[in-house]
Amino acid sequence: MRPLLALATAALLGLGLTACGSGSSPSAAGGETTITFWDDNGGPARTPVWQHIIGEFQKANPKIKVKYVGIPIAQAQQKYDTAIAGGGLPDVGGVSTAMLANLVAQKALEPLDDRIAKSALNGKINRQVLTTVKATVPDGKTYMMPMSTNMGVFWYRTDWFKEAGIAAPKTWSEFFTAIEKLTDKSKNRYGFTIRGGAGSIAQMMEVLYGQSGITEIFDPAGKATINDPRNVAALEKLAGLYKKVTPEADVTNDYVKMVAQFDGGNIAIMQHNLGSYNDHAKTLGEDKVAAMAVPRSDSGTQSILSNPVSGIGVFAAGERKDAAFKFAEFAASKAMNSHWAEKTGVLPANTEVDGERWIKDAQHVAEASRVLNDPATKVVQMPYYLPEFNAITKTEMEPLFQKVLLGQMPAKTFLDQFSAKLTEAQAKYRQRNG
Amino acid sequence: MTTVLERPEAAVSPARPAPGRSAQRVSRWQIWAPLALYLLFTLVPFYWMLVFAFRPRGSSSLLPWPITFDNFATVWNDLGFAMFFRNSLMVGLASLVATTLIALAGGYALARYEFRGKRAFMVGMLCTQFIPGAMMLIPLFEIFRTLGLVNSLWSLVIAETVFQLPLSLILISGFIKNIPVELEQAAWVDGCGRLRGFLAVVLPLLRPALVAVGSFAFIHSWNNFLFALMFVNEQEKFTVPVGLSYTLGEFSVDFGALAAGGVVAAVPVVLVFAFIQKYLVQGMSAGAVKG
Repeated sequence: MRPLLALATAALLGLGLTACGSGSSPSAAGGETTITFWDDNGGPARTPVWQHIIGEFQKANPKIKVKYVGIPIAQAQQKYDTAIAGGGLPDVGGVSTAMLANLVAQKALEPLDDRIAKSALNGKINRQVLTTVKATVPDGKTYMMPMSTNMGVFWYRTDWFKEAGIAAPKTWSEFFTAIEKLTDKSKNRYGFTIRGGAGSIAQMMEVLYGQSGITEIFDPAGKATINDPRNVAALEKLAGLYKKVTPEADVTNDYVKMVAQFDGGNIAIMQHNLGSYNDHAKTLGEDKVAAMAVPRSDSGTQSILSNPVSGIGVFAAGERKDAAFKFAEFAASKAMNSHWAEKTGVLPANTEVDGERWIKDAQHVAEASRVLNDPATKVVQMPYYLPEFNAITKTEMEPLFQKVLLGQMPAKTFLDQFSAKLTEAQAKYRQRNG
Repeated sequence: MTTVLERPEAAVSPARPAPGRSAQRVSRWQIWAPLALYLLFTLVPFYWMLVFAFRPRGSSSLLPWPITFDNFATVWNDLGFAMFFRNSLMVGLASLVATTLIALAGGYALARYEFRGKRAFMVGMLCTQFIPGAMMLIPLFEIFRTLGLVNSLWSLVIAETVFQLPLSLILISGFIKNIPVELEQAAWVDGCGRLRGFLAVVLPLLRPALVAVGSFAFIHSWNNFLFALMFVNEQEKFTVPVGLSYTLGEFSVDFGALAAGGVVAAVPVVLVFAFIQKYLVQGMSAGAVKG
């Protein structure tokens, strides 16, 4: 026993735990300011990109040092919430619109409208992206410096389309024709895959609003439009595809299974967003996969759903807000935003980046960028600001959507229930926020 | 009067027929089949981890061949596992020492002294085991902030020790109760004080209990993710479980790095178990008999 205890104690002392005290907090000393930056998606994909941006920032601003802390994405919200409740927030941190309403409700973030208006970035941030950021919070202010956004796209097998002699669909009618033509069950090939498991509702909504051409989730009276007869017809069409041009297992399809089927060579078209490009390119090869935007409705409307916007928030409790904003502004500048978007495979928020060579070369980014910057594109703003939105879409609606696919529930009944829940949540939100 | 106790007839075991070869085979299969099934469920994930850790990226081979150490180089050098490993080791060893020493002193007091409220204290300690760590996160965070311990590895050591102590105290006190107090009394008669008597007589007999308590403290501390992520705000002070979570991205998972990190994280735990397994069952069962 004694040797064990002695060994443990010796190792403890030898490794010098006592040297790892709390240390000095970031501060201003000798004219030098240190700010802390929390990356809300730390990891091998993004940490090197931030390290590059931080390095460039420190070169341009030698008196400001940035301390980087990478937070795993799954725990970012919890880490912020704990720091808000217990203290210890950073000066500046990565935030997305998915968590913005929660942070603003806790008065954690500083509105940046005035600072952005006076900065070199004024007028250079994508209009649709800014609208999405402002629509997330009740007071319509800009609580983050937008860096990038994502977009729902339809990934398709270029080699299969070439073999079948058909072009990438531009409208929903062309889409339905193409997936029927590309289905060959004898070869275990299916035209499409429906996400029926976790995360199904957002993709379903994109198909519905894309077909119907409706551009608002709520009408002026606050009633949800999800059960509009045009959306009901669109859902009936979507559910009718199940097992006809999709695998039977789609009813439990989550992201991983969906990608496994597409990358495994069984699916012609898969609906997701730009984020899955690297997986497809790695498995299928860059020449066999391309992205197309959400098809246009029969009336010619290009409706897309708003996607979470990623950016940088300046924390209200911080003592070095000027330095913090300077860092956010630098990260969103043309050169840094271009580097960021290229390396992480997302759409840049800075419109100056749109002309960069790499965007033209990356088919999927170019296609998404074209749609996002097209003034005719209608962005349906998802109500991420509703505290109940996640519970409604994930806990309550996902199992019911599976029933619709299995033919156990009519599309109208499902959408009526969905609409009632959203309308109720919107009424509560209006009541709370005037 | 002398009473002769004879064994009743019914209690005498009847002579059992010698088992034949087929009966032996059946009984072996009855043992082996469930064991094999159980092993399949427990070992397949480990095999999966080893295959992904050692095979090259992009390979779909079911064997870790051709073998590569690229994933280990990635986690050790690029993801900073060398640093995370050192931090985990420090926190684990400090928690082990603190938990064992405090549990030893407290367990002795609970076993040998009678005091008012002892029963309520024991019940209270048991009740703390029903509260999940996540619920204590914000109160603990506020306490550590007041003490200036946020962003310090000491916050992890203290939190781990506090969460491990109730069970450790109960185990050690149960074990000490099993050691006859007369042994200590004999030492006192020979001139030892209470401390000297404890060190000379009781402590050597507590080896299995100390090993069990210490190893649980180390392993629990080694595996704890939540406290390490929440109480520490510097990359250089994160521990192995936080490092592992870096391999899980928003849209993709680096399975090779995740598996290599898993192997790195599992090695100390496996070594600890290999070292202590002979003491573990003894320590757990002896301490658990009397609460």
